Amino acid sequence: MIVVSGLADLIFMKGDLFGLGSLVAGIAIAIGSGLLVFELGRPGQFWRVLSAQKAVMTVGAWMLSFTIFASFAYFSFWPGFSPWRKLATLRHLLAAANILLGLGVCLYTGILLGSLRARPFWNTPILPVLFLVSGLSTGVAAQSLLSGKWPIGLAYDRTVGSSLSALDLVLIIFELMILFIYVLMMRFSSTVVAARIAASWLMGWRKWLFWGGLVVFGLLVPGVLCVLPSAPSHGLGQALILVGGLTLRFLVVYSDDRAELPGEGEYYARLPERDAPFLRAWE
Amino acid sequence: MARYGMIMDTRRCIGCHSCTVACKVNNELPVDMIYNPVYTAGPTGVFPNLHMTFYPLLCMHCENPPCVGCCPTGASRQSEDGIVWVDQMKCIGCKACIQACPYHARHANRETGTVQKCDFCRERVREGLAPFCVATCHQRARVFGDLHSPESPALALLNSAHSVQLLPELGTNPQVYFIVSAGGQE
Repeated sequence: MIVVSGLADLIFMKGDLFGLGSLVAGIAIAIGSGLLVFELGRPGQFWRVLSAQKAVMTVGAWMLSFTIFASFAYFSFWPGFSPWRKLATLRHLLAAANILLGLGVCLYTGILLGSLRARPFWNTPILPVLFLVSGLSTGVAAQSLLSGKWPIGLAYDRTVGSSLSALDLVLIIFELMILFIYVLMMRFSSTVVAARIAASWLMGWRKWLFWGGLVVFGLLVPGVLCVLPSAPSHGLGQALILVGGLTLRFLVVYSDDRAELPGEGEYYARLPERDAPFLRAWE
Repeated sequence: MARYGMIMDTRRCIGCHSCTVACKVNNELPVDMIYNPVYTAGPTGVFPNLHMTFYPLLCMHCENPPCVGCCPTGASRQSEDGIVWVDQMKCIGCKACIQACPYHARHANRETGTVQKCDFCRERVREGLAPFCVATCHQRARVFGDLHSPESPALALLNSAHSVQLLPELGTNPQVYFIVSAGGQE
């Protein structure tokens, strides 16, 4: 979202339509980061992640922190009561920073997952590419839904609207192509586990989520809706793109199977469940 | 400088799981945490030509550990002697290392919120003792030692037979080697 608002401001001089988007982006990233902290084993120690380590996650944590700050800072230029409203150069600098940070945030999760050699389905160079396109696509869709509403009370500019719909369509086409390259080439992977997961997406137990949730309702239907002339159909299409983006992340994150070591499956299948009655018999 | 490693002689391992129990009891692990499972591969083949192998698993203390590079706080460390361990003070429980480990060697502790793993019984090794799992193995199937020292029995055993590493294609260079007898399909 902040990539779109940055680009709109710098290149097309239409930043006033997209100011709200950077506020929502900042809030969304802040909430997301809050959820990440909440999920830690020791949330009170979360500040340790902002270290000088060379881990991908450290870089990501710093980048998310800067992004939250930059999104809110950029948004602060737009409301009527903003004291630095006229400082266009500073705003443009922030817009440029937002573009870089937005692209970084899109790429970072893909790189984080892609760097893990232990997870064959993730360990591919195409995953960051897929996440980048998906991030841009959902960002454009979200900005389309929010643009022109506030703090500038402009009516939705039709030329802007049709440009965004065209951009939506292009990103959907790219995302479809990259998604199919990813899943099909994983089907032919030399790693058994990756091929098995790809098969589960295409024909196995994940196929409803993949074909239904992601391909049809997340990509194809929004693509068709973007081409139709009526505005409400565009809005529905953009909402479906957001759902599709969520489905993609859900599918990828839950495909984290590891290469199985000899006899591993049988060993853990025989262990008792954590809440087995005999384990609590002495309590 | 010492470089500790372990050799599993699967020709001797009978799958009694004593090492699993010794590790769990002496380290006072929670109920659902096992540092040292012993997997059973097989039996394969057709009677009377049957074959079964037991693979005791633990942290491989890799030469190129993926779990150390991914830790955002520096809690996951490797000491000079090759032992990979977790600084419980610095661990925030993000579980990136659990995702990074191909050998399922790392475990999240629900009570403390941190991540724990086998550390070759560091305190015992510093005193010159063997880890609990090695000390308890009555078949002498587990041999622990300094793989850089020419006199170490671990190195002698490693050089005496064909050994394999698990998942070598991942580039982790694990320092736990398995001597597997020839024969049978895994």
